Amino acid sequence: MKLYDVKLLTITCEILAQENIIEILKKNEITGYTTYEVDGNGARGIRGQGFKNEKNVKVEVIMHEEKLQDVVEEISRTLFANFAIVLYVGDIGVLRPEKF
Amino acid sequence: MDILQLIQANLLTPIILFFLFGIIAAKIKSDLKIPESISEFLPIYLLAAIGLHGGIEMRNTGFENMLIPMLVAIGLSLLFTLNHYQILRRLGKFNLFDSYALASTYGAVGAVHFSVGLSFLKNQGVTSEGYIAAILAVLEPLAFILAIFMTNMAVSKQIKVKKQSFAGDNSVDVDVGLNQTKTNLSKVLRESITGKAIVILLGSIVIGYIIGEEGFESIKIVFDDMFTGAIVIFMIEMGIIAGQRLDDIKKVGVFLTGFAIIMPVFNGIIGVLVSTALGLSLGGAVMFGLLMASASFIAAPAVLRHAIPQAKPSLYITSALGITFPFNIIVTLPILFTISTLVHTGEGTIDLFHYITEGFL
Repeated sequence: MKLYDVKLLTITCEILAQENIIEILKKNEITGYTTYEVDGNGARGIRGQGFKNEKNVKVEVIMHEEKLQDVVEEISRTLFANFAIVLYVGDIGVLRPEKF
Repeated sequence: MDILQLIQANLLTPIILFFLFGIIAAKIKSDLKIPESISEFLPIYLLAAIGLHGGIEMRNTGFENMLIPMLVAIGLSLLFTLNHYQILRRLGKFNLFDSYALASTYGAVGAVHFSVGLSFLKNQGVTSEGYIAAILAVLEPLAFILAIFMTNMAVSKQIKVKKQSFAGDNSVDVDVGLNQTKTNLSKVLRESITGKAIVILLGSIVIGYIIGEEGFESIKIVFDDMFTGAIVIFMIEMGIIAGQRLDDIKKVGVFLTGFAIIMPVFNGIIGVLVSTALGLSLGGAVMFGLLMASASFIAAPAVLRHAIPQAKPSLYITSALGITFPFNIIVTLPILFTISTLVHTGEGTIDLFHYITEGFL
């Protein structure tokens, strides 16, 4: 079994930033992603209580390294200042690299 | 005296008591909470009931005379938003983004306020004009659109000034800024008009108008008899959320706290007087005033977080939900009701006086 190296970008952010992130992904021709609702604690206090609009989501995207730079740059430039957001990148292996 | 008694009586209604109970539950860190799907369902239910009620009333009373009150409401709402901005920016020394976000939060209308108002009037045995539900729908996106427009204008102007101080040709960049404004605005406009709040409200008004009293009979038990009960359940949730934010109120500051209390009363009283002058009924004037007094805390964050992300949501949500909403439903509503009663029956006293003087002559 051969595994191919790709990157996993994980973004934990407030639910209202989700739309912006997906737009950025779309701009970079990335259509596949997974999101789920989460809650937790961080610099902006305990999140996930109260209104639906104040929940957090986790967005996971698998992509090739070439695209990663642009996506991360745009997310950090446009969203870091005003939204509750944490972003990290990991190395992962996939079986079918042509999917991403 | 009368107002105090009414406030006292209002304080002991289930709506207010359950709201206060929710705050206490949050304060003692109870794990009490309304299941998520129910707290998402309730605003939809409340808006559907408001819409149906409005549609049926409109069928009964007609809506030819709704145009002028609606235009006046639009004018007042825009005027108030600009007025809030000036107060917050100049006196409160808030930054541009927070000022506009707060100004529109207080210029916008709240559906929860509206529901509580309807139930309050029902309790007093007073009816209101149905078309006020239509005004609610029209006002919903208005203040936000204005604030977003003004913010974008101010920002692109700032960019322009900054660029000019660096000199050189920069028309391209400014154009980009203006284009951004347009896309932002049209996006907000489209999203608010197709947003669930307006869609369910307008849909229910139309359906209510079509079915009328007879058609409503079969669903009355859900949309009329259960209305106040549903608000009560929603109030527990609102109380819990407000209670969780109680500590944040300290961060809001003295100025904004004062603003969050004085401004709604001021706007509300103007609303009552203006709508009375336009010929609205006692209950109608109260609802009109309440629309002017209310602040948005469900729609506001969803719109403003995207349109003015620089503004701090902790300011506008906390002040609208933690301060203004409780104050409005406990104190402002009885005040507006008393003033409306005064100006509506006031005509009677003038007549009486006139009659007496005539008698003397």
